[in-house]
Amino acid sequence: MRAIRVRGTFLGGILGVLALALAAASPAGADETCNSPYMGNLIKGQEDYLYVWALGVKSMGDGGDKLVTIDVNPASSRYGKVIHKVSVRGRGEAHHMGFTDDRRFLWAGGLDNSRISIFDVGTDPARPKLVQTIADMPAKTGYVGPHTFYAMPGRMLVQGLSNAKDGGGVTGMALYSNKGELIATYPMPATGGGDGYGYDIAINPQKNVLLTSSFTGRKNYMRNLGELVKDADAMKRFGNTMAVWDLKAMKPKKVLSVPGAPLEIRWSLKDGDTWAITATALTSKLWLIKPDASGEWQAKEVAVIDDPTKIPLPVDISINKDGTGLWVNTFMDGKTRYFDLSNPEQPRQTYERVTGKQVNMISQSWDGTRVYIASSLLANWDKAGADDEQFVRGFRWDGKELKPAFEVDFYKEKLGRAHHMKLGSKAMKSAYGPERTATLR
Amino acid sequence: MGPSAPRRSAERRFGRIITVLAAVAALATAAGTGPGAAHEPDNRLPASVTMDFVPPPPGSYALHAIMRAPDGPVLDRDGRRLPLSRFTAGKITLLGFIYTSCADPRGCPLTSQVFYTVRHRVAEDPELRERVRLVSLSFDPARDTPAAMRHYAASMPRNGVEWAFLTTELPRTLVPLLDGFGQDVRVELDARGRPAGPLAHVLKVFLIDERAIVREIYTTSYLFTEVILNDIKTLRLEGTPARRAAP
Repeated sequence: MRAIRVRGTFLGGILGVLALALAAASPAGADETCNSPYMGNLIKGQEDYLYVWALGVKSMGDGGDKLVTIDVNPASSRYGKVIHKVSVRGRGEAHHMGFTDDRRFLWAGGLDNSRISIFDVGTDPARPKLVQTIADMPAKTGYVGPHTFYAMPGRMLVQGLSNAKDGGGVTGMALYSNKGELIATYPMPATGGGDGYGYDIAINPQKNVLLTSSFTGRKNYMRNLGELVKDADAMKRFGNTMAVWDLKAMKPKKVLSVPGAPLEIRWSLKDGDTWAITATALTSKLWLIKPDASGEWQAKEVAVIDDPTKIPLPVDISINKDGTGLWVNTFMDGKTRYFDLSNPEQPRQTYERVTGKQVNMISQSWDGTRVYIASSLLANWDKAGADDEQFVRGFRWDGKELKPAFEVDFYKEKLGRAHHMKLGSKAMKSAYGPERTATLR
Repeated sequence: MGPSAPRRSAERRFGRIITVLAAVAALATAAGTGPGAAHEPDNRLPASVTMDFVPPPPGSYALHAIMRAPDGPVLDRDGRRLPLSRFTAGKITLLGFIYTSCADPRGCPLTSQVFYTVRHRVAEDPELRERVRLVSLSFDPARDTPAAMRHYAASMPRNGVEWAFLTTELPRTLVPLLDGFGQDVRVELDARGRPAGPLAHVLKVFLIDERAIVREIYTTSYLFTEVILNDIKTLRLEGTPARRAAP
């Protein structure tokens, strides 16, 4: 395996700033332009539903993590309203979700309890139903904290964040069949410059490349943030690498040095493009991953996001359908920023707006005119007091301005903390409906 | 990596055949004689997806057991009722769902194009010729009768490699096979929520080993002839005595 030396303890320099912040964070997700390339059923018109995976809050409603469905079709009489919710009973740090390749099922993970909840969203897209729970991922794989759910043909590739042995950041990926049976495990590269950490997954089938990024282990992400940032040793245990994998062989080929917890990875969807982009949470930069003139994959810092010394904490990013623009949410200042990617070697921020007191996830419709923002990062990393807004907000984007369209207050509705969002549509339903329903799971 | 001369020749021959098939399907759809079958439009990919890499050599990677291939009654092109397992065990099998009226170049015609090329390359390899089969199974039993499948198959000249064209009697015998393979089929709705025309599905092709275990699944964005051939050879290497004896 080729390797590049990873830089050392860059985090020491930002520790003081983070300690002052005392409320901050990192992780994030995906949307209609950021799905697996193996998903064939993209919604390219008006979406009908927004599925929100929400963290339960004690004494709020039933207190459990839940999948919330919001009607987001402006033509509907229920536009902007919660139309359904299904609780999984219990709190497990609800975090990210991913559709199966046929979009019939939505897998959702808990970073604390490592449970994977599988919802049927194909039979009745307006009323998702919990149909299966995978509770033995730690026992069977040794990995905990299922984070990214990435559709592969007939399978789901799940990225862990941590391990069952010491709760550190060394982890791996688990491959399941769409029926929920474990097929294989793949440890993250821990030699040749690799730190063994994991976070996101992104595949380019035409290049036979799988990219992974890196975050931190359970001992860190479940810890109170105020305490964490004062622990210099703990702050050293964040990922500083990305890995380039041979997708077919599922073997790591090269480790790239990308200091500062590289999180979401987005491939440009434009025909002919062969680059991906990521944001580093702790160093507040955009990095471009692409092959050099000799075909060798390289990572290159291409932009800073705001003033990195202020630790704005870029979290989720969302690339548009033709790779010309990128949304970046920064958690600490509650801003949603737009970067012009016309030249991916030199991204330029062209717009920003405060969209909440804390913002994490951002999703956009296929045409980019509708943008959805959710508030929560992690239960123990979200802000406190009046700054602890919990919401999903819908916006219209005309290329110049984000204009508010609707808002759901998740605390007022007793739903908990709003995290990952995925889009749904009623436009399709299974052929052979009655016959199929009888055989489903 | 450029295609070999035999491969180019096979692709040219098939190109003519598939052009005729697509034209017939398009005419049938336009005339309202078919189901209007179409795949989900997906402008992310060109009709012919290019493979921009050199795949790892056969035997250098693992093909994990994904699931057992489902079984159930099917009809061959002569109308004989047989178990699908007759066509999924005993040989390395490449199985894809199609419907004969499909005109989307990124759908069933793409599957048939790749099958045609794979079959040609397999026929040239004495190690594989008798050990590989192709199966095209319809998910439109109402229109794809055994006679329709026989007519469809007639356009594919025989070359000594088994290629079965199968259908089912009824949706209720088809659906367990679809669900067993995890193959979706959907129908589009109109503004009033009523079924309105085209069927849609995610293109999937299944590589099945001699024990009827699915070992790989390909879709439009990864349906590359060279990869499939290497996977077939990887399965074949598993079955050789030297490979079995290896630690």
